[in-house]
Amino acid sequence: MVSEQEYREVEAFIFKEARYADESAYDDWEALWEDDAKYWVPTSPDADTEVDISHIFDNRSRIATRIRQLKSGFRHSQTPCSPMRRIISNIEISPLNEHEYEVAANFMLMELAVQSTRDMNLWGGAINYRLRRVEGELRLFYKKIMLVDADEPIANLAFLI
Amino acid sequence: MTGRPKATAYENLIFKEKVHGSLYTDPAIFQEEMDTIFHKGWVFVGHTSEVPNIGDFSRRFIGRQPIIITRDRDDNVNLLLNRCSHRGNLLCTRASGNASTFTCPYHGWSFGLDGGMRGMPMKVAMGDAFKPSEMGLAKVPRVGIHRGFIFASLAKDGMSFDDYLGDAKVLLDRAADLSPEGEITISAGWLKHRFKANWKMLPENNTDGYHVGSTHLSMLLATGVANSGAFNEEMGDPSVIRDWGGGHTELDFAPRYRESGRPFQWFGGTRPEKLPNYVAAMEAAYGKQETAKRFVDGPPHAIIFPNLFLAELNITYFYPVSPNEVIQYYTPLLLKGAPEMNKRAIRQTEGAMGPGSFLLPEDAAMAERNQLGLEAQYPEWLDLRRGLDREAVDAENGLLTSAVSDETTNRAFWRHYLTLMSEAKSAS
Ligand code: FES
Ligand SMILES: [Fe+2]
Repeated sequence: MVSEQEYREVEAFIFKEARYADESAYDDWEALWEDDAKYWVPTSPDADTEVDISHIFDNRSRIATRIRQLKSGFRHSQTPCSPMRRIISNIEISPLNEHEYEVAANFMLMELAVQSTRDMNLWGGAINYRLRRVEGELRLFYKKIMLVDADEPIANLAFLI
Repeated sequence: MTGRPKATAYENLIFKEKVHGSLYTDPAIFQEEMDTIFHKGWVFVGHTSEVPNIGDFSRRFIGRQPIIITRDRDDNVNLLLNRCSHRGNLLCTRASGNASTFTCPYHGWSFGLDGGMRGMPMKVAMGDAFKPSEMGLAKVPRVGIHRGFIFASLAKDGMSFDDYLGDAKVLLDRAADLSPEGEITISAGWLKHRFKANWKMLPENNTDGYHVGSTHLSMLLATGVANSGAFNEEMGDPSVIRDWGGGHTELDFAPRYRESGRPFQWFGGTRPEKLPNYVAAMEAAYGKQETAKRFVDGPPHAIIFPNLFLAELNITYFYPVSPNEVIQYYTPLLLKGAPEMNKRAIRQTEGAMGPGSFLLPEDAAMAERNQLGLEAQYPEWLDLRRGLDREAVDAENGLLTSAVSDETTNRAFWRHYLTLMSEAKSAS
């Protein structure tokens, strides 16, 4: 169990993370991550990264490369950035240990592919976050996004999901 | 006389220096391509390692037609059309798995892994002429397998599998020869990517060296390799493109790799000391000298016409959906007997291939923008002249070869396409 105060604090953090992603606020988003980061979009719920391919499986240095590429001005698949808004809901928070939390949530994201087709893409699924308290501040060290259609043909996923 | 419109006069749409925009947008042309290239000709469908055990199956398409690859009790690989022989229900809906039979949920007919009919409820009223032995699933009539790569043709007769692959067989060999056991494995799953673009943009783009510096500039900048001169013959990249005939094309990086002679430049420049078991197994299998050559030259970057792309340590193929849509698939090319390579290969594929990677989203965005641009009817033609005046037959192998950024590969694709589509027209 987490206290009401902890719940609100964790919730505020994941809403902030969602807003940074929605607004392609790359530096702010990257600054949320710890060094042992895992940013993961698997293709199935029981995927094993030792043997299975994922859409995205970034460690901290790959997150940095991803952000450098997005900021280069030539990431044509995100130039201009997709207008996006996402809803994070069904939040369940549990403590992992004294200073870490596991958060499960659902999400829905509307993304407009203004760089090419101008399709309004609907993305949705489950998210697992892991947060760590470092010197009083919450930090992100794990985010797994299990898309409902992860194993189906999907459009470009070059934005921050 | 059928209701089909008169077949397209392709010879008026395809020239060596230009092709017509309608080839990418006309629904009648798309239908003729499906009939001729995908539903008659040879296409890639999968690899035997995807159904390693008896009872394994995997769903695929040949063009627009759903099929199942199975491994039956006699250890044979079968390609079955995924349609119940009773009234047409899609028989298998799971992407892959293991089964002893397929049972149609509509009326309950069941079929073995070899396609043969196994059972049905209430047989009596079917009449005397009904023979279960004649009611098996339709089989893909022609299947060709080379180094485990499975190709299929839905036509009973036509060009032989050997003639179809031709000299390009050595490209498949070059991939498999990087395994100490001489076999590749596909087992990490497939990423699936939707392009709202015509299918031909994929084979045209995949051996196009010219687009890399512009389309992929963000990746070059982010990984610190911009201005390296790669893909730019004016800056000294000696890589070449090659026309293997039959629409098969290649972008060969080996000349660049051989300049420094360092191994594994195609694998992040990994030092051989990091892969001691792999190096030892390769040397034991092929000898030191041959192994050293393979480690410098690396895997192929080549198209096997129409839908297989050997993308170095990735395997890619696609299915056309409509004139404006194609689904591209990606998986790492894993090497049997080389576990040290394979985990890194999975990470390398995630970096380069797929909708969330650092490379392919740009190719998808460019293909989609191409498709949107082609809605404009003028200037009518797409220009394909690049390198036309300097490409030449390589005396060593007899193949038309040119500088890395030339459109020799695009012209090779279209020349073969024109041959196929014109033959189909004169035969109809
Ligand atoms: S359609 Fe399959 S059993 Fe009737
Ligand atoms: Fe590309």
